Amino acid sequence: MDDLKAAATAATRRGFLKTGLLGGAALAGSLASGRAMAEGDPVITEIQDWNRYPGDGVDARPYGQPSQFESHVVRKNVPWLTSDTISSINFTPLHELEGIITPNGLCFERHHAGIAEIDPANHRLMINGLVDKPLVFTMADLKRFPRENRVYFLECAANTGMEWRGSQLNGCQYTHGMIHCVMYTGVRLKHILEEAGVKAAGSWVLAEGADASAMTRSIPMEKALDDCMVAFAMNGEALRPEQGYPIRLVVPGWEGNMWVKWLRRLEVGDQPWQQREETSKYTDLLANGKARRFTWKMDVKSVITSPSPQVPIVHGKGRTLVSGLAWSGSGTIKRVDVSIDGGRNWHAARIDGPSLPMALHRFYYEFDWDGSEIFLQSRAIDESGFVQPTKDQLRAVRGENSIYHNNGIQTWHVNKDGGVENVEIS
Amino acid sequence: MSRFPELLLGGIAALLLASSSVSAADVAAGEKAFGRCKACHAVGEGASNRVGPHLNELIGREAGTVDGYSYSAAMTQAGEGGLVWDEASLKDFLANPKGLVKGTKMAFAGLKKDKDVENVIAYLATFSAEAEKKADGEPKQEEPEKKAEAAPAGQAPEPTATASAASPAQEPGAGAHFKLGREATEAEVAAWDIDVRPDGLGLPEGRGTVAQGQELYDENCASCHGDFGEAIGRWPVLAGGQGTLTDERPEKTVGSYWPYLSTVYDYVRRAMPFGNARSLSDDDVYALTAYILYLNDVVDDEDFELSKDNFASIKLSNEDNFIDDDRDSEPHYARDIEPCMTDCIPGKAEIKMHAAVLDVTPENAGDDDAPAGGID
Repeated sequence: MDDLKAAATAATRRGFLKTGLLGGAALAGSLASGRAMAEGDPVITEIQDWNRYPGDGVDARPYGQPSQFESHVVRKNVPWLTSDTISSINFTPLHELEGIITPNGLCFERHHAGIAEIDPANHRLMINGLVDKPLVFTMADLKRFPRENRVYFLECAANTGMEWRGSQLNGCQYTHGMIHCVMYTGVRLKHILEEAGVKAAGSWVLAEGADASAMTRSIPMEKALDDCMVAFAMNGEALRPEQGYPIRLVVPGWEGNMWVKWLRRLEVGDQPWQQREETSKYTDLLANGKARRFTWKMDVKSVITSPSPQVPIVHGKGRTLVSGLAWSGSGTIKRVDVSIDGGRNWHAARIDGPSLPMALHRFYYEFDWDGSEIFLQSRAIDESGFVQPTKDQLRAVRGENSIYHNNGIQTWHVNKDGGVENVEIS
Repeated sequence: MSRFPELLLGGIAALLLASSSVSAADVAAGEKAFGRCKACHAVGEGASNRVGPHLNELIGREAGTVDGYSYSAAMTQAGEGGLVWDEASLKDFLANPKGLVKGTKMAFAGLKKDKDVENVIAYLATFSAEAEKKADGEPKQEEPEKKAEAAPAGQAPEPTATASAASPAQEPGAGAHFKLGREATEAEVAAWDIDVRPDGLGLPEGRGTVAQGQELYDENCASCHGDFGEAIGRWPVLAGGQGTLTDERPEKTVGSYWPYLSTVYDYVRRAMPFGNARSLSDDDVYALTAYILYLNDVVDDEDFELSKDNFASIKLSNEDNFIDDDRDSEPHYARDIEPCMTDCIPGKAEIKMHAAVLDVTPENAGDDDAPAGGID
């Protein structure tokens, strides 16, 4: 777009663009068919400033930032959802991202009492309860344990939660942006538990944060000893404050609320604690008034990130690239199918890049768009054989008040102009 | 009673006498009335922004201008439009916040008594150099450390860098395998291990009545949760909603949804009041928990006293409606079914619902839109 803007400026200056800005497609068309054919594209035929004058030196940006032309690629919140940003959520701009790794500054945020700013010199991790010896670790202690690197997605249980009653939000940032995927560096939780010595009766671990909500969740010992981590780095650098600096819990494949940030305490017990976030919240109310609890695992899911409402098709008919993400709390993604006719016919998409368990997978599907209205859908199948369901299948068994764990198939309607809208279809 | 030393009170009294307009106001009474504001606003040395902006140097401040605080658009505009906080404007605002600044995100409905308004302004004036200058009062003394920042009675303070440096009684290298870490002291475990389970494990000694709880609630909780637990704005509703769980719009409250009372005690003790966590005593939390039971008609006697002894005997009505995760029993959960690839649904797809109809995407929606759904 910015290239087009630059071209527009140049063109206007020369009086070639008579009708003003008619939108990207019209502008591109006028360039191609009008003056540009005769004289050439001014960004090519004229010497540009950046081609003539040197730019900033090496220390101008000691911590590099994205290009000024990418300033629209930011996390955004939905103000009506919550009373105050201190206890709220914002969304990863999935529609602008590529590959499987989320940049640290764009990972969605969910805080229950704002961002705790903790000096690592003043941070401790305590382990107590049904252990042989209650222990306190400093950050320096934690960094002496065996270390590992793992790529995992983190998805909030409420991701897509606003869509249970039907299409609400126009943009995959809002419908699916409570997810990110980074490489964590840290210590196996198992090592920390074993250092304190778990007693035979210890079957649950309570994880607690140091923030002003003192977030707590009960985690079954089997999972704690399996693949959970205490992470201190993401994508090669220290955790961001909003992601739990200096340490957070990593609970692969399970709902994001359990990944306690600013982790300060682990308690071993013989039953769950029934904390606020596992009783009044993060329980799934069914149509019959019963509510499921301890629905930890995130089910197989996918979404087309482009085209999507925030990134419509602007090139007109012809070669079109569909890009999307798929993931499952059960492991790797085996296959993703894409439909352009609202689920009548499906085509196997191409998964590209690493395929790691409980991590985002990137898929592509390329086709020649004939310019007619289409209904884009994607459907993921994981290595365990679970198939992403339709929203109607989910509603048929759960009703519309579950809030959490909506992994239904998303439909984007593309109109003849390339505009994209979030819809539900027959 | 007051956290001000006598000396300071004397100085403020002189200040107030010199300022004719607030001469009748009572700083000590203002401090007490400010208790209702403290859940969201801090004032005094080191005060930072909480749910609301800090209130140091409030008098003479242009509205909506505290650094680092995210104001409503309405408040920012009011400041740009010339609203400056002085006695007159604060009087209007504190009596009816939304009356003066429509669209302010301050949920508080306003102080009903004129006297409270005057007193709170007098109290806040003591933290504003502008007001002091006018009154030619003595330089303000440093505020003594806030009571609220100390740990509740009977609990050890949380260890800090200095505390831990002072208590390295245990040898490092205490861990079983890698010889990492040191043994936690009893005081350290007691300071952090405040969780409470449904079977009563973790409940501290203590007691509190419904009536005591009401007083605490009005002061600390009502500004967000409403006078009767009905909630203001989108803050959590605490009471009511019984029998609505199968409705189109269920109301999930302590009375209608929460399975265990222990969760209320645990959560209030660890995280409430929002913006001033860990400031309530164990007795306070018993009293507030009792009052929340009263708001939900679980108990109906204002003299009812909740204590460690009778706590586990209270059952909430929705406990039995919680079931374990049985998603894998749902038909679509079946594994290894090869999904249909061609001609899967007859007919052309027809749109049943547009997101654009609801039009709640942030770029399009107005501030007042609050459709169904939420993140809880």
